Amino acid sequence: MSGEEVRVIEYRDVPEGIRIVCGLPDIGLVGVIATAHIIYKLKLKEVAYVDADLLPPIVILENGLPKSPIRIFGNKDLFVLSSEIAIPSNIINLIVKGIIDWVWKKKAEKVLTLGGIPVPNRHEIEKLRIFGAASDETTLKKLVENEIEILQRGFLVGPQALILKYCAERSIPAMALLAEAFYNYPDPEASSVVIQALNKIMNMNIDVSELIEKGEEVRLAMRDMMRRTQTELMRMRKSQEYDVPGFYIR
Amino acid sequence: MVIVRRRSIFDIFREYMEELEELADEIIERSMERPSWDTNAQSLEPLFNVFVRSDRVIVTVDLPKADPESIRISRISDDLVEITAKMRIKIRFEDFGVTHRKGEFTQFCCRIPLPVPVEVSEAKARFIRGILEVTFPRKRGYEIKVE
Repeated sequence: MSGEEVRVIEYRDVPEGIRIVCGLPDIGLVGVIATAHIIYKLKLKEVAYVDADLLPPIVILENGLPKSPIRIFGNKDLFVLSSEIAIPSNIINLIVKGIIDWVWKKKAEKVLTLGGIPVPNRHEIEKLRIFGAASDETTLKKLVENEIEILQRGFLVGPQALILKYCAERSIPAMALLAEAFYNYPDPEASSVVIQALNKIMNMNIDVSELIEKGEEVRLAMRDMMRRTQTELMRMRKSQEYDVPGFYIR
Repeated sequence: MVIVRRRSIFDIFREYMEELEELADEIIERSMERPSWDTNAQSLEPLFNVFVRSDRVIVTVDLPKADPESIRISRISDDLVEITAKMRIKIRFEDFGVTHRKGEFTQFCCRIPLPVPVEVSEAKARFIRGILEVTFPRKRGYEIKVE
């Protein structure tokens, strides 16, 4: 199997040099909720979708018409990748690789991926911390300049790990913004924290008050997707993010 | 020449673990292949989590829109608890943009299996930020003196 089996099909021309924000299903659906909010707030239009024979046989019906569950939305400046289904763990590598291939062909200026870090006592935490990691030294410096604490050492498992890995291989500047979050409950509060960090880094002003106000509705609406995502996370051995890496290679 | 590789104990163990994993996957999949709602009981199944610690078992349940006063935790058997909670508002399929199904939901209901023996009667519960947390002390065993 090769990455070419994954295709990004554009219905509108996507220019070169794009900035793209990714929100693939992961713990707390932090990235999915954040990207859905960004798409809604900036009124981004659907520009492309991800297709692959490997994906489960699913479409999402919108007003009676079939849509791909993994789509890219955008305007002139900003593009956003979001998924409405849990991506099966056995194909996540190929899907992310295919997407990053496309991002590379588009000579992306910057890739940002939004997500969470699981903390077992999340319900006791009032002020969520945010961490960052990047695909190269220069991008890492940008995180530091924006006062984002660097995730110095530890495991990343799942979409964030793959996005950073493939972007590093292709020399695409990429950063992951990860807020403390629930493992298996949708976490709109964590999503608002990553959006605020994104606002700072990208010089944007996306309002998150509505996301916080409607937090309970979001948690209810995301319940089924969270359930499916949790199963896939378990298969990816996501809990390894709790592990302390072993022998220190300096 | 035919080389017969003897199966080491590690191979046998690995195969055994693989079989166990497949079985676990199958159980998960079977439990997923049903709706997370029940229109007859007007209930939604909430998301929950069970953490096993050395001295206690912590169960958390995500209960958005629940009325904290209405939360009930009951022991069904030694290894099964039922959690129910009324919602502050009625939720309909239409609220999620789904119009081809009819029904409304007024409560959360789930049964949570406890993986290790606990003292159900000594459990403590609290409700923070829409999350119910129930802590069960684990059953204490017979103490063996270290000489």
